[in-house]
This record gives sequence, C-alpha cells and structure tokens, in this order.
Amino acid sequence: MSLLDPADVLPAALTFRLGIIALAVALSGRDFASRVVAFAGSAIASAGTGMLASHVLSSGADVEGVLIRHHASGLSLGYDVDGLSAWFLIVLAVLAVPVAVYSLGYVAHPHLRHRSAFLGAVFNLLVGAVEVVLAAGDVLTFLCAWEVMTLATAALVVTEHEERSSRRAAFLYLALSHLGTGCLIAGFLTLASASPTLSFSTLLSQAPAAVSMPSVLFVLFFVGFGVKAGIVPLHVWLPEAHPAAPTSISALMSGVLIKTGICGIVRVCAFGLGTPLLSWGVLVVLVGGVSALLGVLYALMQHDVKRLLAYHSIENIGIILLGLGAGMIGLAYGRSDVAALGVSASLYHVLNHAVFKGLLFLGAGGAVMATGTRQIEHLGGLLRRMPWTGLCFLVGAMAISGLPPLNGFASEWLTFQAFLFGFRGSTEPLVHLLFPVGGALLALTTALAAACFVKAFGITFLALPRSRSAADARESPAVMLAPQVVLAALCLGLGLFPGFVLATLGPVVRSLPGFAPLPDVSAGHLAMISGLESFDRIVPGTFGVAILAAGVVALLLTMRRRAAARRVPTWGCGGELTAATEYTATAFSKPLMMIFAALYRPNRQVEALTEVSPYFAREVRYRSEIEPTFERHLYEPLVRAVMRVAGGMKVLQAGSLHAYLGYVIAMVVTLVLFAWWSS
Amino acid sequence: MSVEALLALVAALLQAGGMLAAAPLLRTGIKKMKARLQNRQGPPLLQGYYDLAKLLGKESVQSETASWVYAAGPRAYFATVVAATTLVPVLVAAAPLEATGGILLLVGTLALGRFALATAALDTGSPFGGMGSSRDMTIAALAEPALMLGLFASALSVGTMNLGVLVRDLVQQGPSWHPSDLLAFAGLFIIVIAETGRIPVDNPATHLELTMIHEAMALEYAGPDLALVEWASAVKELLYLTLLVNLFLPVGIATGFAPGALLVALGAWAGKVFLLAVAVTLVESTNAKLRLFRVPELVSVSLGLAFLALAIRFL
Repeated sequence: MSLLDPADVLPAALTFRLGIIALAVALSGRDFASRVVAFAGSAIASAGTGMLASHVLSSGADVEGVLIRHHASGLSLGYDVDGLSAWFLIVLAVLAVPVAVYSLGYVAHPHLRHRSAFLGAVFNLLVGAVEVVLAAGDVLTFLCAWEVMTLATAALVVTEHEERSSRRAAFLYLALSHLGTGCLIAGFLTLASASPTLSFSTLLSQAPAAVSMPSVLFVLFFVGFGVKAGIVPLHVWLPEAHPAAPTSISALMSGVLIKTGICGIVRVCAFGLGTPLLSWGVLVVLVGGVSALLGVLYALMQHDVKRLLAYHSIENIGIILLGLGAGMIGLAYGRSDVAALGVSASLYHVLNHAVFKGLLFLGAGGAVMATGTRQIEHLGGLLRRMPWTGLCFLVGAMAISGLPPLNGFASEWLTFQAFLFGFRGSTEPLVHLLFPVGGALLALTTALAAACFVKAFGITFLALPRSRSAADARESPAVMLAPQVVLAALCLGLGLFPGFVLATLGPVVRSLPGFAPLPDVSAGHLAMISGLESFDRIVPGTFGVAILAAGVVALLLTMRRRAAARRVPTWGCGGELTAATEYTATAFSKPLMMIFAALYRPNRQVEALTEVSPYFAREVRYRSEIEPTFERHLYEPLVRAVMRVAGGMKVLQAGSLHAYLGYVIAMVVTLVLFAWWSS
Repeated sequence: MSVEALLALVAALLQAGGMLAAAPLLRTGIKKMKARLQNRQGPPLLQGYYDLAKLLGKESVQSETASWVYAAGPRAYFATVVAATTLVPVLVAAAPLEATGGILLLVGTLALGRFALATAALDTGSPFGGMGSSRDMTIAALAEPALMLGLFASALSVGTMNLGVLVRDLVQQGPSWHPSDLLAFAGLFIIVIAETGRIPVDNPATHLELTMIHEAMALEYAGPDLALVEWASAVKELLYLTLLVNLFLPVGIATGFAPGALLVALGAWAGKVFLLAVAVTLVESTNAKLRLFRVPELVSVSLGLAFLALAIRFL
C-alpha cells in the first residue's frame, strides 16, 4: 500500500480490468490464452480491491476518489469506500479470487471451452461492476454500475443461449430487475429533490428530514434492493437464473451478487432514512422469516443440485434479514446494544454465506462437470471417485446447516442472541411477541437446512452410483480443488475465530448512523459474548477441542478391532442390492412433503403398466411435482393484467404516423396553453 | 494453564465419565420397569453394561459399498454427545465447560451428532438407512423450534442462556412453580420423548421395518460401531432427563465441592432422574406408537406450550 496511494487502487484495478477485457476479446480465437488472461487477471484485480478494503477497515479512514470526470459538463463519477463498502468488498474478494482460479479449470471443460473469451470478458465486467456498485459514492455512479451488473449477469445467464430455459430465465431476471431498478430510480429521485448534490453522504444525511413520507421511500427501496437480494415474493427469478449460468458464475451470483441488494438495504433502507421506524423493522423480520422458511422448504423439494443451492440462497438472505430486522427494531427502541448484535449477526452471515455457498457451488460444479448431470437422483457414490470434492462439499454442507464449530453456526448464534438478548432487555409487548417467533423460525429453518443437506450430500456422494456417468466420474483437476480447499478452510477458520471477525466488523457497525458508542461483542479472537458476559458467551474452538478429545476416546474404544474391519456386502433384504433399491432424494424428502402438503400442494401420478394381470406390473411410472405457488397465484395474474393493459394501449400506438403526429401537435398545444394559463 | 482451567478440565473428565458410566443403567432400568408393568421379569439391571462389553469385544464389520463416512458417523455421534455432557450442570450448580457456551451450543452440538449419524446411515446403500435418516431428520427438524423455545422460556425468565449461570440462579431462587414453568416443562418433556426415540414417537424395542426411525439408522452397524451408537444414545437420554430435572426442579444440587453436599446431590439427582424415568416408562407403557404423520401434531402441541409459557410470563 505504501507504493500506491490508496485512492488510486480502485481506478487502477478497474482500468486493469478494462485492459483484460480488451485483451481477452482480442485473443478470442485462442481459448487457452484468453482464459488465462481473463481469469488470472481477474483474480489479481480482485485481490487488489480486497487489499484496499482491508486497508480501509484497518486504518478506519474512508478512501474517496473520482473514477471519471468529464470536464466540459462538470460531470464526475466518484467512489467512496467507507466501512460498509469495505466489508462487502472484502466479501466479494474472498469469493471472487477462488472463483476466478476455479474458472481456469472449469471453463476448460469441452462444453465451455469455445466460450472462454466471452465468459472471461463478461466475468471481469461483472466483478468490476459489482465493485463499483459497492464502492459508489454517488447515485449516478451507483445506478450506472447497477445496470452494467444487471446486464452482465443476464449475459452470463444466457451463456447456453441454445437452451430455451436459459433465455426464459434471463428474460425473467431482466424483467424483475428492471422493476427493482425502477423503484430505486423513483426513490433516489425523490431523495435528490431535497438534496443539493447526488453523493450518498449528503443525500442520506440531509434528505430524510426533508421527505414527507419516509415509509413510502422505505418500501420503494426495500422492493428495489429486495429484487436483487431475492426476498420472497420477489425471488422467482433467482432459482431460474442462478442454475442457468455456468457453475462458477452461479457461485459468484449466489455468494456475492445478491448481497449487493443486502448492502443497499443496510445502507439506504435500514439506516439511511433516519432512525428506522418500528414498523420497518417488523416488516424486515417478517419478510426475512418468510424468505428463510420458504427458501429452505422449496430447497428440500429440489433434486437439481444447482436449483437446490439457489433456493438455499433465498433462505440465507432470509437469515441475514432476520438479524438486520432485529437490529432495526433494537435501534427503533433506542437499544443500540441489541441493534449492534443484530447488525453484526447480519453482516457476519453475509460473509459466511458467501464462503459456504461459494464452496458448495464449486463442489457441485465439479460433480456436474464430472458426470454431466445436475440431477442428484442420477448421482451417488461420488465420494469414492472424487474424495476431495466430497470432503469439501461435506464441510460446506455442515457450515450451511449451522453446525458448530463451523462458520454458519457462529453467525446464527449471533442472530439468536439478537432475538434473545433483545427479548430479555425489552418490556415492549411487540418485542415479546415477535422475537420468539423470529427465534423459532430461525431454529426451524436451520434444522430443515440440515435435513436438506443430509439429503444433498448423502444422495450425491454416498452409497452406490445411480448411473453410468456417476460410476465413471473422475476427480476435478487441482486448479479446481485448491479454491475449494481454501474456502473449506475458511469455513472452519471463520467459525473458530468469531471474535476476530467481530473485531473486524466493529468499525463497520460503528460507522453506521445511530451506533456510535458500542460495547465490543468480541472477547479475544476465539470468543463472542452477547450483551452481558453472564447472558451468553461462546468459545467454539475450545469446545471443538472437547469434541475432538471425546472423538479420540471413541477411537480408542474401538481401536483394537478397527484394523481388521471385515468388508461384507450390505444386506439387500433378500434381493440383490443395487442402485435401484437405494433410498432416493425424492423418498428422503417425502415425509416433509406430506407434512407441509398445504404449502406444496403436491401433484402426484402413479401409473402401473401391466401385461397379463393387474397384480404384476411390468413398469411403474411415478411423477410428482409441487405447485409453484408464487408463479401461479401471484405472477400469472399480474402478467395477465399487464398484458391486458398493454393490449388496451395498442389502440393509441397502432403504427400510424398520422396519429403520432397528431399526438405531438396535441401535446405542444396543451403545453402552450398550460404555459399561457400559468403565466 | 490456570488453576480454574485445570479444575474445569478435571470436572469435565469426571462428569463425562460419570454420565457414560450411568447411562446404560438408565436404559436398562426403563426396560426393566416396562417389563414389570407387563408382568415380565425383564433383564438384569446390569444388562446394558454386558451388552456394551460384548459389542465392544466383537470384530468390526463394514459394508463393501460404504466409505469412510460410515465409520466416522458413530464416532462423531459419540464424541458430540459425550462432549455435550460437559455443558450441562449435573451434581454441582455449574457445568464444567460452561465458559465455552450455553443452550445454543448444546443444541448445536447435538445437531452435529445427529447430522453425522444421519449422513452415515445413507452410506451403505441399504434402503433402511435412508428411511431412518429421512425420518429422523424430519422429526428433528420439527422438534428443534419447540426444543429451543422450551429452553428459551425457562432461560429467559432468569435472564441467561448459560446453563451453569441459569442453574445457579435457579438454586438460589428455588423452584418457582410459576405456571409458565409447568407449561415449558410439559412442552420439553414431549420433545425429550421425541428426541430420545421413545413411544409414542418411535419405538426403541422394535426392528419392524416400516416403523423404525432411530433403529433404522443404526441397523447396518455391528460390533464396536453399534456399541458407540447405543451408548451415545443412552448418554443423550440421560443428558436430556438431567437437563429437565435440573432446570425445573433445582433441588438438592450442590453449590460447592464439599463431599457431603456432593453425596446429597448425587442422591437427589438419581432420585429425580428415576422419577422422570418412571414417567417415561408410564408414557411408553400406556400409549401406542403414533403414525409418523401424526408426530407433527404432537410436536406442535409442544411448540404451543412453549409459546404459552413465554406469553404468560412476559405479556
């Protein structure tokens, strides 16, 4: 950092990226060269911005600067890396570097190789746009980058543009994104009307006092950012778009892209519009709880591993919002200690989710590449053929299930504390009603996620292969495994050193309005305390050692005989044990499907094909699907209504030049009359 | 290492060892009482130990289709349950490792063990393993919010999530007999039945294919592996019962390490756990096993009780 002025790092990294994009496109005939240039370059640029972000956090001083200045018009696009931006930039770098390295191997796959230049260039465009979105200092920069990010994502979603489903997913994504962007523009214009400049700092510090209806603004921004974050019911694009992109891109989309929405919600909705109102916090908790629960419930019914992971992103966004909502309610009641717990939990989970979801997507990508299928019903037994991928996927599965001592547990522990300590410290009936509901929802979500990942890991990686391609799978190359090992180690490290993470997060939380003097919730690098020392504290590392010690006892107890473990076939109930007699993913999640049948409205058809007697079926066909509730009952009527209105508008816009000229004249006359009238 | 840390270490070893030693007796005791209620003789009280000794001495058998996960499952399950015993106050109003975490860590650790066993159950390729794994994770998922809320209800009334601090405060206050405590106790009792695989949720005595839950997960295990699973399940049951009696009937718990007080505490703890074991036996003997899809109703009763407990205390 000493050689370089911090203010130059971001422009330099972005310029570097532009150069890479140009070079990758220029090399488009030579796949290997353009792949290496694009992804290795992207990793370097991401590392640079990550270092800038950690410099901001460690020095405590914002880094500001100008990206582009147009002297003639005086227009300039500026950036401002403050604590919150820095945190999200670190989250981005932590995932973008491994993903870029992984892509070196992944994009070399024969299916994708010929698209190296395209993928490399758009990948750089996307990561660069996300960096600008997170670091934007003013509304104009933000909206430009936001739009580039949206379009780059859409381009990556249609990588396999031959598939109709990819094109449809991209269209859905664009349609909803623009709904969201429309809300954002409306919100920012309203704010800007009361502010002398467009920079975020003046906009957000002065505008709230001048705006008459902050709740309307809150809802506009919450919808606008919520579309990107994938909150229920604006989530419908997410499970379509994320799986359609190449898997390494999916990892980035699920891990970081949706967090740009969270960043916006934290910066603008939660704490940018003045002290949050109680009703906003309640809304955020409820939306978060519903997103978390529905996300995991829908994930349980998915047997396409990428769709399953995409639904889990909705769940985790819900968990992030639960913490944030608890924090907002805490601040609304003037309890900055509760608020700090909630916001720390939320931001901690942002990082954790990026790490374990990225890891899971990368592992799934390896399995998909090795077998050619995303259906876990066709996989099985991969742990023997892909031991490293399997081990890393298991670590990610345990982390996302919130099991100690991994990182998912640490941030969920903190989210629980926000509810529990908030409950304890409050006398408000609303808190006493809402917070236990939030805690119960979080507990249910976590436990269901564990069930889902027992299924996802067990069916994919254990027992017998269910198809030829699963039986012939080969381990991914080292360039794809190394990023997974790093991310798995991070899952463990972020879980064992929660105090370190919280100490890093401290300045970020304190930089938010309303949080100025705060008790430190970290106690050394290994421990966290909640509110008061006596309320709750946790040292996952020490307890992890206790579990290990007990594990050693278990090993010693069985040691003598272990060496001679006799290998025998599994009893196949009198028949031959084959992949067909194994438990399937559908069967695994069937009890939950029946228990939550009111939500899923399952539709199942069993058809027995018989030849001679109805008692001896030659073939039984089973089809089961769940009803896409939101698509059918919310979006279909909405789309029909839009189409009807559009149909009505056809009368006005029928392609007749004369009519259009008539409209122009009518408009001019009206304006002239209006001007005359008002003067 | 400081004196306190050393003391905690010794206490943790003693407590984990003690729970390991006592757990088989509880299981056999319940079996014996059930048998007596059915006019049978039942097994000798030490049968649990004989079984474990025999299983531990047998050779290890492993499925050809299984990977290392199969062997790791029982060991991880055992390790988590044994480690979890150090988070709960048993005889003294302090848990050996209470400085490392409270209720949430306890629940999380038990969930880790369950995850390990349920995952390992899928490894042999036998349909029974999958069946048990699926059902166990389903019931656990439904039980988790009720378990958490029940524990929160009693913990929040004192104002701490740390079990050591909680029991110390409770011992000072004495049993409150507040209606919310009774509701929370009833709710948690249901959950303990569900989590320990007892009738009416699961039947520990059956190996009937279509009704097994926990037993189906352990079906493919033999010898030392099976011993670990059985032993850990017994410890888990003792752990839950200890938690219940110490949270809701904090009588006779020692506040120091004086030998006399410890003896009294041992007697009180054994007596209280025995009473609860009698209750479990009576429930097991007078109820039929519920259909799997009726279990959610039972669990939601527990969830409702926990909510009510919170509501009447705080609203």
